Order: sequence, then structure tokens, then C-alpha cells
Amino acid sequence: MNAFSYLDLLNLLGPETILVLTSLAALFVDLGALRDQPLPRRWLAGGGVTALGGLLAILWLTNVTAQANLAHGILVVDPLTQLVKVVLVAMLLFTVALSLRAEFTEHVGEYFCLLLLATVGMMFLVSSEDVLTIFVALELTSLSLYILTAFNKRSLVSAEAGLKYFLFGGVAAAFTLFGLSLIYGLAGSTNLREIATNLAGKGTDPLLMVALIMVVMGFGFKIAAVPFHLWAPDAYQGAPTPAAALIASGSKVASFFVFAKVMALGFAGIEGNGAWRQFAPGWVPVLATLAVASMLLGNLAAIAQSSVKRLLAYSAIAHAGYMLLGLLAMSNPHRRADGMAALVYYITTYGLTTIGAFGVVQIVERTGGDSLENFAGFSRRAPLVAVCLMVFMLSLAGIPPLAGFFGKFYLFTAAAGAEPGNLGLLWLVIFAIAMSAVSLYYYLQVLKRAFVAAPAEAAIAPVVSFMERLTLALLALAVVVLGALPAWLLGPIADAIKAAGF
Amino acid sequence: MNVGLEHYLVVSALLFALGLLGVIVRRNLLVIYMSLELMLNAANLALVAFSRFNHNLDGQVMVFFIITVAAAEVAVGLALIVALYRKRETAHVEDLTTMKF
Amino acid sequence: MQTVFFYVFAALTVLCALMVVANPFSRNPVTSAMFLVLTIVSLAGLFVQLHAFFLAAVQVLVYAGAVMVLFLFVIMLLDLKEEERRKVRKFAVIAGGLAVAIIAVLFCTAIGQTTAGIGVQPILEGGTAALGELLFKHYLLPFEILSVLLLVAMVGVILLSKKDLK
Repeated sequence: MNAFSYLDLLNLLGPETILVLTSLAALFVDLGALRDQPLPRRWLAGGGVTALGGLLAILWLTNVTAQANLAHGILVVDPLTQLVKVVLVAMLLFTVALSLRAEFTEHVGEYFCLLLLATVGMMFLVSSEDVLTIFVALELTSLSLYILTAFNKRSLVSAEAGLKYFLFGGVAAAFTLFGLSLIYGLAGSTNLREIATNLAGKGTDPLLMVALIMVVMGFGFKIAAVPFHLWAPDAYQGAPTPAAALIASGSKVASFFVFAKVMALGFAGIEGNGAWRQFAPGWVPVLATLAVASMLLGNLAAIAQSSVKRLLAYSAIAHAGYMLLGLLAMSNPHRRADGMAALVYYITTYGLTTIGAFGVVQIVERTGGDSLENFAGFSRRAPLVAVCLMVFMLSLAGIPPLAGFFGKFYLFTAAAGAEPGNLGLLWLVIFAIAMSAVSLYYYLQVLKRAFVAAPAEAAIAPVVSFMERLTLALLALAVVVLGALPAWLLGPIADAIKAAGF
Repeated sequence: MNVGLEHYLVVSALLFALGLLGVIVRRNLLVIYMSLELMLNAANLALVAFSRFNHNLDGQVMVFFIITVAAAEVAVGLALIVALYRKRETAHVEDLTTMKF
Repeated sequence: MQTVFFYVFAALTVLCALMVVANPFSRNPVTSAMFLVLTIVSLAGLFVQLHAFFLAAVQVLVYAGAVMVLFLFVIMLLDLKEEERRKVRKFAVIAGGLAVAIIAVLFCTAIGQTTAGIGVQPILEGGTAALGELLFKHYLLPFEILSVLLLVAMVGVILLSKKDLK
């Protein structure tokens, strides 16, 4: 029996422990000490406590080097997981900074508590290579996000969005679980690497294919890939905007990371073949199909949207399609590190950009709503925020020299190089490039409204707090800098992947 | 005739399919939740069967976790229904139509 | 004898599950809930057949005891009447049923063709002591994560179902 003690756990899980304690502190401070204070002060106090905990966690993550694999993958801590956790906590901090002026609820303590615990779930998700832990962490994240989606109790839309998210999530969880149980049954182990070893030679077992598809369905839901995307537009639109930002950024980072691990480690050996005319069953053709469907439907549906939150949701679906290319690049064991590096770079920059975009939407919402009309003449009403919006939108569209461009570049070269020799996945890469050209249209639509269109007669200038200005400016700066100097992020990622021996 | 692994798996597959049917066909949110429980229970049965035939207890521990998670999930789901019911007196999926397209 | 018990409980499980989702006599959620209890109890019978005695007990205690009470409580609280048969979309029902039937057949074929578990003698005994040992040593971390998950559920449920005083 490979047991571990609480002392080991506390040593290796310092950041998570800090965040759990912070969540309790946020609850306690708000419900205990500040209950009778005015609302803005409570938001500030809760946000302060949360930010403090988050900063401590980041300090721990960047300064304490840890490498361990406890109890056959139940807890895997290595430089790569630490790096991804830093990204997750940073996204939490940005989300918190954008929530400080929120008006959608008076349950401040619970709000920060759930934000923190959702992040803790994502962090556990990242550092696990065991089916059981993955499932439990996934459920922790999902449950927190369902509640956050329905957090605005004054709004019918929010309640409905939460319920829809829950329904689809519940079905997806059942599918994942059934798939995982079949895999456990076939492999006789819950550890991803052992599963791959035990499954070697069983590649054609029909039950294994069923299990594979069910697992892909479950994770496809989490990353909002077509055809499991139906919850995303409603959840993004109905959720309080900062919560939607976390769903679009942090949850996506963690889900993609663990999805990549499950596929590349757990299903190593049953990749199959997705190359043109060389079809063989396995997870590569399945994911390739999802990628094509997501890019196609996401980009085309985004064009028709009038609500910018829904537009961002469909754009997120399209981006999930691009990111699946990174997973496909990992199908070649010799090129796995490249694929992982490209994927981590992409999800990080994408997450930061999306949080920024939602931050701008939140500001526009204050002037009446999040439809495209509300963006008309926005540059004249809030020039700085409008410039940030431009940076985010252009980065999402993949315009050089912004981070989105380099992300796509690395992702597509990794996918194209996955099968050297033959043309492999080149058809998919060409399709992805074509679809990103399409996506330019709707991003420019938003910018056209904001910069060219004249403001409506009754348009009012939105109130923008200092904190929001600062956060948005920081995010925009990050997008520009990471685009101009991608090595700043790619270097550490490559080092971490090498050190983790991925 | 001896009862083997495949017998249990067939029962579990049927249970899963019935649960899925309920989720697709039924309109009442509570019945849909119950069907979801059926799907989770199908996974439980498969896990216990696999656990016995794989000669390790991991599957049974997993069932233990699933039961707890399912209980928490149901509690949250029912709270969501109650919250929706406060806003709008309905527990039918067809009425979830505030957001379109 | 074992075989007879298996078939009895398996048939009970599947039949009761069918009554949960497609009861021809009643569309009342309470009926569904009651049949779900029966499904769960007969499933516990199958667990006993598989020598998972502790899980069988937990299954009855937690599901039939706690979860179903929660269900019934909410049904009573919301005072739900029978599911109205508003515009029964026959097409959707038939399509759904067909899709699910195809999935079930696919599953069973896959199970029939799999090589897993062929010729394996079931020898595992799921003693409670062994289970506890595994749970609190090997799976200590997920166990702790579960406690955080229960905290989330608690905070969330109170938040969502409490009436705002203002």
C-alpha cells in the first residue's frame, strides 16, 4: 500500500490549502464581521481577503519547488502543474479584480468563497493522474460553477442559465463516469499511465471504443466543443459577468490540461489515425471531428449574434476547436512536448484575453445591456477601455503581433508537425486557418460598433472604477507583451515540460 | 448457467440507457434528475462488478465517492429548481426559454 | 440459487427503472420517486451478490434514505402536480426512444464482444475493513477533496434556496 500522510499533503498542497482557508476567511469576514456594513465596503474587504490568499498561493507556487508523484498519480506535483496552477490563480485574481464593483448580489462572502473553491477544484484537477481524483475534482469545479452561474438571484436569466448548465453538466458527468468505469474495468487500474500500459494490445476492443467516446463526450462538455456545447451560450449570457469570465478562462485551462493528460497518457497507444484517407479508429479521428465541428459551428454562429456575451461564447467554442489541434499534436509521443507547450501557451493567453473581453462587456453592460448596439460609439465614451477592447478582440482574431496570433501559430505548426513525413493533419490545419479568417469578421463587427459607429443620442458614459481600468490595462499589456515576446512565456513552459518529463 | 461479468454489464447498460431515455423524453425537471441518478447508478453497478472481477477494491472505493458526489449534486440541483421556482412557477424544461438563439 | 437471485434482482432493477422513466399509468413525480427507491434497493441486492456488502448498506442508507427524502421534500415543497401532457411531441419521444435503443443495443454488442472478464473467477471479498484501509490511506486526498465539495454544496444550497430578506 502506497500511503501518504497529512504532513505530505500539506507540504505539497500548500497553495490549495491556503486558498481553502482563504475561502473560509472570506465567508467568516463577510458574514461575521461586516454584515451590517455598506455593500461596497464588503466587496472591497472580501476582494482584499481573496486577493491576499491568491497572492500568497502564487508566492508559494513560484518559490517552493516540489516534485512528487504520490500514491500512483493521485497527486502529481511537478514544475508543469505548478506553472498551470500559477496561471489559474492569476486568472482568479483578475476575475476578483473585475468583481469589486459588482451589483448583482449582496452575498459577497459566499461569492468569493465559491470563486476560491472553484479554483481549488481546478488546481486539484491539474495535479492528478488518477481517474478517481479527476472525477472528484471535476465535480468540485462544476458544482461551484453551477452555483456561480445561478448566483444572481434577482434575475430569471441567471437561474435558468444555472439550471441548463447543471442539466447538461449532470448528463456529461454521467457519461464521463460510465466511460471511466468501463476503462477501469478493462484496464484494472485507476492510474492513467497504468491504464495505458494495461490497455496495450486491446486497441480494437469495442467496449474500449465505447468507453473512449463516452469520456470524450464528458470532457467535450467541459471544454464546450460541438456537439456538447449547448450549455455554453446560455451559461455565458446568464451568468454574472465575472463568473462567466472564470468559466471561460480558468475552467477551460484546467479542463484542457486534464483532457490532454487523459488522452495523451491514458489512451496512449490507441490514437488511431486521423490523416487524410488513412483513417484508423482511435481518439485522434474523434477529436479531429470535434475540432472541425467546433470551428465551423462556433465561428458561423458567432456571426449571427447580437449579444456580445453570446458572441464570446460562440467564439469560445471556436477556440476550443483550435485548442483541440494542440491535443491532436500530442498524439505522436515524440512530439508530445511540442503539442503541450503550444496548448499551454494558447490556453493561457486565450484565458487572459477572454477575461479582459468580459471585463469590457461588464463595463458596457452598465450603460444598458450587452448587445452590439450598446457598443456604438464606445470609443468616444471610454477611450482607454475601448483601446483595451480592440487589443482583446484583435488578439482573439489572431492578428500579429498580439498573443493570439503567436498562440495560433505555435498550435498550428505543432499540429502540422505531428505526423512528419506524410501530410498528416495538414488538412485540419488548413481548415483552421480558413476558419480563423472567418472569425475576423465578427470580431471586427464589434470593433466597428465601438470605434466607427456614432453613439446613440441617449448614450451615457459608463462609470469605470480605477481597479477596472488597472486590470484591463494590465491584461491588454500582457496580451501585447506576450505576443511581442512570446519567449517570456514559452521559455518557462518548455523548461517546466522538460522538468516534468512529460 | 453461471452469472458472469457480462451479465452485470448488460444490466448496467440497460440501466444507463433507461436513464438517458428519461433525460431525453421526460419534461419534469425532478424526473429528469431521477433519470440522472439512474445513469450514475448504472456506473456504480459496472464499477462494483468490475471491481469483483478485476480483483481489486478501487472500483468499490470509487462507488463510495460517486454516491457522495451524487448526493451533493442532487442537493445543488434541487436548490437550483427551488431558485427557479421562486422566479417563475415552473419545473418544466420547456419553460426554460428566456434566452433564445 | 445465486443465479436465481441474480435474475430476480436484475429484472427488478430494470423493470423499476423503466417505471421511473416511462410509467404508463402515472406521470406523477412521486410515483417515479417511489420506483427509484425500489430500483436502488434491488440494485443493493445486486451489490450483495457481488459481495460488496458495505456498499449495499451505504446505497440503501444514502440513496434510499437521504437522497430520496430530499427529492420527496422538494416535490412536496413545490406542490408539483402531474406532469401535464402538453402537446405531446410524439416525434421527439419516438426519436429519443429509438436513439436510446440503438445505444443500448450497441452497448450490449460491445459487451458481448469484449475480452474483459472472460473466464475470470470472482474471488474478491469487499470487506469493510479493507475498504476503509484503502479509503483512508491510498485515497486520502480525494476523500479530503470530497469534504471541500460538500462545503461547496452546503454554501450553494443555502444561498440558492434561502429567500432574500429584502
